[in-house]
Amino acid sequence: MAITEMDDMLQSGLDRAVEMMALAAQTSFRFSNRNTIKVIKVTNEEIEQLAEFCFALGDMAPLAARDGRFAVDLIKEPAALLIIGDKRQSLFNYNCGACGYRTCAELNKAEMVESLTSNGPSCIFRNINIHIAADAAAAMAWRLGLHCRVFSTLGFAAKALEILPDIDTVVSVAVSAAKVNPFFDRHKFWTQEVWDQTFNKEFPTFTRGFIGAVEEG
Amino acid sequence: MSVERTLKQFEEDRKEAAQLAARLLLASAVTSPRVGGVGECTVHIVEDECDIEDLCQAVEDLSKENKAWDFFMRDAAMLRDADVILVITSLRSLTDPSDINCNLCGKLTCEYMRKEDKLPAEPGVAFTGPLCTFRAMNISYAIDGIVSLARNMGIDYGVYWSAGAAAMRMGILPKATGFALAVAISVTEKSPFRDIPVKYSQINDRTMNDRIIRRLWPQFRSIYS
Repeated sequence: MAITEMDDMLQSGLDRAVEMMALAAQTSFRFSNRNTIKVIKVTNEEIEQLAEFCFALGDMAPLAARDGRFAVDLIKEPAALLIIGDKRQSLFNYNCGACGYRTCAELNKAEMVESLTSNGPSCIFRNINIHIAADAAAAMAWRLGLHCRVFSTLGFAAKALEILPDIDTVVSVAVSAAKVNPFFDRHKFWTQEVWDQTFNKEFPTFTRGFIGAVEEG
Repeated sequence: MSVERTLKQFEEDRKEAAQLAARLLLASAVTSPRVGGVGECTVHIVEDECDIEDLCQAVEDLSKENKAWDFFMRDAAMLRDADVILVITSLRSLTDPSDINCNLCGKLTCEYMRKEDKLPAEPGVAFTGPLCTFRAMNISYAIDGIVSLARNMGIDYGVYWSAGAAAMRMGILPKATGFALAVAISVTEKSPFRDIPVKYSQINDRTMNDRIIRRLWPQFRSIYS
């Protein structure tokens, strides 16, 4: 009788699961049936690239740095990242005003403002279509029993590094088949000392009593 | 079909199933992911038949305001067949940009975004943008939280931005609401949200009933009796 190792099963199970997630993303609800999203899967090498980029942002973007440091650890166990992106212009002709322009034609004519994270101004409904795809993928991962979390930071990094080229807005869904859920309660990064120090810096009035009180020393 | 007690009971239970499902769908919407992990979406259940009718009237009124919104008439016809309408709001997108300078709105930084003039709240404008797109995106997770569970539970659904905008206009949502969408659900053998022919606002279940059963039949009956 042939024996298949646990690691092999996990890896191939994860691969299938990510394919199922892409499928769920592809067939999820879209406003006006405008399904123009692009989806790619990236694994270890690219995740590491993204993680390093995010971590390098440091104090400039603490949330990104947090996710960068975390993603370096993520790839030590079977993991994958689904990146979902799209262009920014409106395809709907809803003229709803949510983007700040009265009509979709005005939005589409407006000059594109480029930045590392995303190019704007972008159509809200088009963004909603992307994020609905992200949630469908996340829902599928949940049902398949994978650990899962949606990251805009890693998505932004994918746009900055052009891992998913020719897109304006992006989001990413990370999944993992680790032994314990790596995505939440990431306490191992924080010693009590660092936590206290950061908390006191961010919320000084919590312990100081009233605004204007002077700290000792 | 003849009127029997059991059929009446079925009708009542069907309605109750939709109302029960609406509460479970609300739970799924509330617990779906939020980008950045900051809560900002609320879900409001509209299940009273009169309230649903009010909402449909508001959708039809909106339709007249903007040429691009002609399809709201069709939406209203579909929404009238819904058992329950869930309205999902975004409470921070209007007043509280996320301060991550993501440039989705095209203003480069949230500081510039705050200084930008909003569109005036006047007829023909559904949402007074520019909204914080990054915040507003959270609503998609709530929507798909509802949609994916509705699919699993076998509940028919339709997603409408017209009813969201109309609910905002009616003032039945929290004050800070910047953006709202609606999901209508129905527990019937034929989904009222699929297979929608052209001119549906004029030719649908209600108008067909009115023309053929309520108008022609009484005349036929009085002539041939």
